[in-house]
Amino acid sequence: MNGSTHSQKEAIQNLLLRLELWFAPMLIIVPLAVSLFLVWDWYARGSSLGLSSYDGELLLGLLILCGNLATDIAFIRSIRTLRKKG
Amino acid sequence: MAQYQADIIEQLNAIEVDAHWFRRAFHTFAASFLVYYLIPEDGWIGVVKIIVPTGIVACIAIIDYGRIRGELDHQRFFGLRGYEKGRPASYLYFGIGLLLLLVLFPQQIAIPCILCASFTDPLIGESRYYLGKKRAYALGFVVSMFFFLLTWYRAEWWVMLMVSLLGASGAVIGEAKKLKLIDDDFMIQILPAILLTCVWQALLLTGNNILPAPLIHPI
Repeated sequence: MNGSTHSQKEAIQNLLLRLELWFAPMLIIVPLAVSLFLVWDWYARGSSLGLSSYDGELLLGLLILCGNLATDIAFIRSIRTLRKKG
Repeated sequence: MAQYQADIIEQLNAIEVDAHWFRRAFHTFAASFLVYYLIPEDGWIGVVKIIVPTGIVACIAIIDYGRIRGELDHQRFFGLRGYEKGRPASYLYFGIGLLLLLVLFPQQIAIPCILCASFTDPLIGESRYYLGKKRAYALGFVVSMFFFLLTWYRAEWWVMLMVSLLGASGAVIGEAKKLKLIDDDFMIQILPAILLTCVWQALLLTGNNILPAPLIHPI
């Protein structure tokens, strides 16, 4: 009984120390949120009012979105592959 | 602990993350810090805009100092390379470079440099396997040029050309030149920024301000 409780505690501690598992969702969600916000800001404060000075935000938003999606897909695939191997 | 909780922990512990793609994803994630320029600069928020990023980098530096001294186990830091064991980790260099760009440089110079560190660096690293070193750096140069052109698209054509050539050269040299003490994650950001600032300031002395309008407007 004591042994099983100890191993469970160890498992929790190992999990808490696995920084990559805590960071992984943030690495995927935050860039997508930022890029979508930039696109929305371009539309709300620029395009809908006929202002071209916000076009840069659209370009940056799309660049961040595409760049991160490309990496995220490979990143998520790598997690799945390793999980299958296990 | 209930059985289902133990099962969840077991399943989570079974997940393996590939360090290679983790590092790549961390690079592209850094482009999110451009959100900094959406934050207003007036009043107390302007002060917070400097204090918070400085505090975050200071905390990272303290943690990394503990790791180098051996107080924190190197194995706990996922994704670190072997050569980073006895020296500051690349994420610290990246953070310091990013902080300097955000706080000290105008966004017209900082944005393309951050984009180079976020996208050009992993692109060169990844394409090196398929294209070889020289072609990978050539590709990195073209992509970096695109980032500078994109940020300076409102400037005059000769300024766009000069800035994109100079900036892309700085970024690729910063990435290619491996120094013992300074990581390429720092150099790829700071070298083009310094080169462009020198040109901007030199032309400013002649009464010619080449800096275009900002790309991101605070809320």
